[in-house]
Amino acid sequence: MCDQTFLVNVFGSCDKCFKQRALRPVFKKSQQLSYCSTCAEIMATEGLHENETLASLKSEAEKVQKKKAKRHCFVLHQVAERVEALGQFVMKTRRTLKGHGNKVLCMDWCKDKRRIVSSSQVCHEHAVTMPCTWVMACAYAPSGCAIACGGLDNKCSVYPLTFDKNENMAAKKKSVAMHTNYLSACSFTNSDMQILTASGDGTCALWDVESGQLLQSFHGHGADVLCLDLAPSETGNTFVSGGCDKKAMVWDMRSGQCVQAFETHESDINSVRYYPSGDAFASGSDDATCRLYDLRADREVAIYSKESIIFGASSVDFSLSGRLLFAGYNDYTINVWDVLKGSRVSILFGHENRVSTLRVSPDGTAFCSGSWDHTLRVRGMVFCFPVCERREDG
Amino acid sequence: MKEVMSNNSTTSISQARKAVEQLKMEACMDRVKVSQAAADLLAYCEAHVREDPLIIPVPASENPFREKKFFCTIL
Repeated sequence: MCDQTFLVNVFGSCDKCFKQRALRPVFKKSQQLSYCSTCAEIMATEGLHENETLASLKSEAEKVQKKKAKRHCFVLHQVAERVEALGQFVMKTRRTLKGHGNKVLCMDWCKDKRRIVSSSQVCHEHAVTMPCTWVMACAYAPSGCAIACGGLDNKCSVYPLTFDKNENMAAKKKSVAMHTNYLSACSFTNSDMQILTASGDGTCALWDVESGQLLQSFHGHGADVLCLDLAPSETGNTFVSGGCDKKAMVWDMRSGQCVQAFETHESDINSVRYYPSGDAFASGSDDATCRLYDLRADREVAIYSKESIIFGASSVDFSLSGRLLFAGYNDYTINVWDVLKGSRVSILFGHENRVSTLRVSPDGTAFCSGSWDHTLRVRGMVFCFPVCERREDG
Repeated sequence: MKEVMSNNSTTSISQARKAVEQLKMEACMDRVKVSQAAADLLAYCEAHVREDPLIIPVPASENPFREKKFFCTIL
């Protein structure tokens, strides 16, 4: 089980007292050591100076936080001023998928770019009946041979896919993850063998699919974790998560440590997605804005908002080059943003209820949006009008 | 979701210390200048924009989602 008080079960010799105990990682002067729980508690309070109280520690924390620039700025838009503006977009709905009897909550593309898995409210998930009401998360395995899903049942289950209509998919279901609250997001890592989950219990966790064993847990969010995204494979073993505590946190998958945290949103972060290069990520929030955070600069570099947009963004994704950011909102629309210039390129209508999920296909030719209106819409580009520039004479 | 919080000041202090340690560790990371980081994002984008089918539309013959006479099977 993974919950707020879970500790990784490593057993061995404590680095301080050398007794054989259950160990947990501690950081002393940025070096990682393994202490037993007794020594860890002692270390936490040792060296307490006379005047070091809770209040003084809190103010020290604030000082360190202030050093990280918290104000948002428009650096990216300034740097991108010389970039040619995008033309006018015309997107066309290519497919409207109506098969769900209820609100579509989540979807994912298969790597073969042709298949989609989607999940919804009330027991229905792609012809597999789940014993819970809201299936809030679903994901395709990289091989395309299995899917993972979960929701209010607090679990993430893996179903091997079969196209044989006689086979009962639910019979082969394997429960992999167990949280103490709802499952909000799940994703396979680079293989079919490991799953990363995010939960309303405030933690993320990495699981081995075969054994169901918890490999690593990630503690740090102060409230429900709503979303996660894995870094593109070239850039290593990290992932980003966003939560109801308004924070986006970047984690090292091997150590379980949070390596970076960003707190500029004013409300729950519903969706996070890495920029294709892996050096940045975008987030969509209930504060009606989407923001771009650069990982190497360790700060927010762009904000995508308009006074006329007052509903929260539920889901974001980049186009293949990272030039476009698609964001689905609770006012039933999808806004397409020019990532570099910060302007809205297009607004897409069509859904009759809030857009809950949005993903660009793996080859970038189309994107699919799922909504509470029970449908999924796949849209692609028709053509793009070039912008005519007016030039001042003289 | 509530943690079991004792009123023990030791717990609060150890939590506050953990928070300060975490923040100090995050503050130590090597940062790239923002202007440089933004320029790199720009460069990546410009390098890949030609291959982006949602910006430069692909010819209809290659578009997998063009109007065809088959339908999507909902599994």
